[in-house]
Amino acid sequence: MSWKNVRLVFLREVRDQLRDRRTLFMITILPVLLYPLLGLGLIEMMLTFSEQRRTIVVLQAAHLPAEPAFLTADRIDGRWLGDESGPPLTVITDRSDSQEPDIVRIGSRTRDRADVLRDARTLAEAVRRHSGSSDAPAGRNDSGAPGDLSTQFRNSGIDALIVVPPGYADAVGRMRVYLKKSSSTAAGAPEPPPPLIVVRNSADDRSVMAFSIVQSALRNWEAALRESLLQDVDLPRSVLTPARLQWVEVADGDQVSANIWSKLIPALLVVMTLTGAFYPAVDLGAGEKERGTMETLLISPARRIELVLGKFLTVMLFSIGSALMNLASMAVTGRQMASAMGAGLAESFRLQFPPVSALIWVFLLLLPLAALFSALCLALATFARSTKEGQYYLTPLLMVVMGLTLFCLSPTVQIAPMYSVLPVVNVALLLKGLLAASGQAAALAAWAIPVLVTSIGYSILALWWAIDLYNNENVLFRESEKFELRAWLRHLMRPRDAVPAFSEAVFCFIGILLLQWAWMNFVRPDLNLPADRLQQKLLQMLTVQQLVTIACPAVFMGILLTTSPRATFRLRRPAVSDLLTGVVLAVLVHPLSVELNHFLMEQGVFPELPEAVGRVQALMASREQPLWVLLAAFAVVPGICEELAFRGFILSGLARGGRLGIAIVLSSMMFGAMHMIPQQVFNTSLLGLLIGLLAVRSRSLFPVILFHITNNVLGLLYARSEFLPADGLLFTHDGQTLRYRLPLLLICSVLSGILTVRMIRDLVREQEARRRGKLRPYTEPTSSGRLKTAEETSAAAPVSSPARSD
Amino acid sequence: MIRVHGLTREFHDFSGGTFRALDDVSFDVRPGEIFGLLGPNGAGKTTCLRILSTVLKPTRGLAEVAGHNVMTDPEGVRRRIGFMSGNTGIYDRMTAFEMVEYFGKLYGIPDDRLYARIDEIFDVLQMNEIRHRTGGKMSTGMKQKVSIARTIVHDPPVIIFDEPTSGLDVLVARNVLDAVEALRDQGKCIIYSTHIMSEVQKLCERIAIIHRGRILACGHLQQMIRDHGRSDVEDLFFDLIRQHDAAFPVENDSDPAVPA
Repeated sequence: MSWKNVRLVFLREVRDQLRDRRTLFMITILPVLLYPLLGLGLIEMMLTFSEQRRTIVVLQAAHLPAEPAFLTADRIDGRWLGDESGPPLTVITDRSDSQEPDIVRIGSRTRDRADVLRDARTLAEAVRRHSGSSDAPAGRNDSGAPGDLSTQFRNSGIDALIVVPPGYADAVGRMRVYLKKSSSTAAGAPEPPPPLIVVRNSADDRSVMAFSIVQSALRNWEAALRESLLQDVDLPRSVLTPARLQWVEVADGDQVSANIWSKLIPALLVVMTLTGAFYPAVDLGAGEKERGTMETLLISPARRIELVLGKFLTVMLFSIGSALMNLASMAVTGRQMASAMGAGLAESFRLQFPPVSALIWVFLLLLPLAALFSALCLALATFARSTKEGQYYLTPLLMVVMGLTLFCLSPTVQIAPMYSVLPVVNVALLLKGLLAASGQAAALAAWAIPVLVTSIGYSILALWWAIDLYNNENVLFRESEKFELRAWLRHLMRPRDAVPAFSEAVFCFIGILLLQWAWMNFVRPDLNLPADRLQQKLLQMLTVQQLVTIACPAVFMGILLTTSPRATFRLRRPAVSDLLTGVVLAVLVHPLSVELNHFLMEQGVFPELPEAVGRVQALMASREQPLWVLLAAFAVVPGICEELAFRGFILSGLARGGRLGIAIVLSSMMFGAMHMIPQQVFNTSLLGLLIGLLAVRSRSLFPVILFHITNNVLGLLYARSEFLPADGLLFTHDGQTLRYRLPLLLICSVLSGILTVRMIRDLVREQEARRRGKLRPYTEPTSSGRLKTAEETSAAAPVSSPARSD
Repeated sequence: MIRVHGLTREFHDFSGGTFRALDDVSFDVRPGEIFGLLGPNGAGKTTCLRILSTVLKPTRGLAEVAGHNVMTDPEGVRRRIGFMSGNTGIYDRMTAFEMVEYFGKLYGIPDDRLYARIDEIFDVLQMNEIRHRTGGKMSTGMKQKVSIARTIVHDPPVIIFDEPTSGLDVLVARNVLDAVEALRDQGKCIIYSTHIMSEVQKLCERIAIIHRGRILACGHLQQMIRDHGRSDVEDLFFDLIRQHDAAFPVENDSDPAVPA
């Protein structure tokens, strides 16, 4: 690979993108201008909103006590409103000595003051009727108010209505008299004053704002009233507040803002990196196809990997640039807004920029994230035929990524072994942790290793996919075919080849997973059965589960979708040596697998076992069932069913492209994932590698079935502790379970290693020979010339004929 | 220079069948010769030339350019051919000079040689006035000139033209033909694919007539016309195609356009 060419492509693409006004706009101008403009707009909107005049009507104001006066000169007394400059208020009262003008402005219209008062009285009457009695209406009437009441309220233009109950001042007066006398006489306490009614409409922002002003004014006024009552009887003010709360804030300003950044930055970073990568990627991938320059580039002597790397680096540059620009612009705007929104808010948390160390982390973790998204977007864009199609892929990608990000925002989710290997989630969580507590950076930094390693791994995988697409002529010259459902279905239904396609193998695996999941959720044993019946039931269910959820999908798909189930399921007569290898290898690997599991368990890697698994384990160790039944249920049936699916249909499909190594690794990962329980996933994935290798090497399913059955038989016997020898060089036991000692493990490792290496060597030789013998498998031209497979396939499989005849 | 033997290429079409775009195609082209590939649309010309330019791989058969096999040494092949077709566009946001320079560098030409070569080509093709104009602002004729410049910047021994005049007006088409002839006179080995008879008559000494993926006839143009007792290449062409269609009627199954 020539880095000179990569650099050449990179420089050209960057220049090309910089000359494209749309990209430039999206990446640079938009963030620099958009956020300040949005911020300004928001502030402006809030200001105009708060400047609007609110109308408050006070009915029966004459019944308010004279001292302290809630209203002075037709306004709410300045003392109660506090310092905060709220919106201007229009207060309309029905006091006879009112000096207000007869015409008032309400909202945008002018109305006769008498009309407003009449409306207010009608409303008060309706409220009274609705809540039963004017003397004891509910203070808050927002929950049950019928529709016409709220419409009336809205139409009246009143934002808040205060109804003072008749005789309120008198009741306060009686209380005052009672307090003065209470020390000498034992007269009964007077009735409490009737409540003041405040009508509001929570669905209307204007009313909500007016209500909050009225509420705080009334509270202040009530406090003053209470104080004046106490003064009358010479009680100190402090009796009013026997239990005061004093807040002590230990977080300093930095930490408060760190908390905000830790939520904001990872989420923004993920989304911005993705969108920043997407638009250039679409232009560089699908755009190149659309403008007809793809072929020009492909016929240049530059290798595909050089082209892809150059393009990838360009996309990554813009992705990082876009993310940083957005973040910076947003941070500056955020600070501006916080200070513009009023002194109170800005002082309650002085939004500090994160410390430099945190910013370095942001940049460091931005790199693998940008790499992953860039490679992924480039691959998708290369796959797309046109920029329009490319943009269709953005929405699902964005939704998946947003979902992952939202998941990370949850306060309970923190970085953990499991999350540190998930793409996107790992970076977001680590960043969240690092930004939230800069003091713990050292403790969290250890996580950076798995996070970076896996992220880079994912990026390389995605990049590899992109390069693969560039080498795939079907993708590069994908013509726009008219999509026709029938043709597509026929295309799906028609058996095309002896063995399944890659996609069919993946589909089979997903089907098995879904069936397993459904089975676990919906088929549960009746736990009320007597113990021995329950065990029988469990055994039956396990067997049926294997048959229904694993063997059936694979076998059905094999019969329906391939012309040669025999080749698909590797039903070839095996060599005796291969059968032997299967058994010996299983025996050799068993101690290693057992001890690895013990080791992992001691390290506390695994979570606790689910209850259902515990039941199955108890069943394995059970002495009540005959051994042959257990062996059949736990060894023979799974051995056959799982091998038919995973080394049969799935491995055949995955290996079809000729990449045997990848096929084996993928099939073993699927095999592991199917076991679902973390304790088994790891072990079975490793075993899957060996079994896959054996299957490919021996070209037959029987050796691997033997391996699987042997492995499960040994596992069962081990779980039942059938064999507990005295302590020795090779074995030991801790009373319950057998443990293998180091010398035995070494012997097993060496022997199984030799067997494995030999299999790999043979396989590589065989592949080499095939490659050297003929570059491409030669197929004899048929006599009629134009078509060869169509006739063969339709003759071989009658399944397709109904689909084709209609 | 170019050796094609038993070249076959199959495509899997959407309805599950296999479509053979090239069927056992063989021909040779020598230096200093313009070899005409004549055939109707969809005959397999583009597929054949794409295989020669290594962007498609053959299903079987041999294709060699200047001694380099397209399967085993695609980079070596690409280094030695100039390829121009309707599908090799130029970049909208690059000037003529940048475009030619970019590809010159991709071909690994040292800077001192490259800039002299660019000046020479721009003079010969009379492109100096569009030197700093971006592709998006060029007329079709100008773009075609840039394409030719891009094709020959590395002075390849083998040049492939795939319908280079499609969509051009008469004047520009004439310029292209002149350029091709000039290249032949420099001793280049040229394949010229087209469905326009007059161009074949004017340029080519030897031709192959290709139809539905097969070569119906291959040889010296004048000789072939005489052998078939025809007056010109157009008559010869229709004659051969009619004969072939009568001998091998189109099977329904192979043609996705015809409903089953």
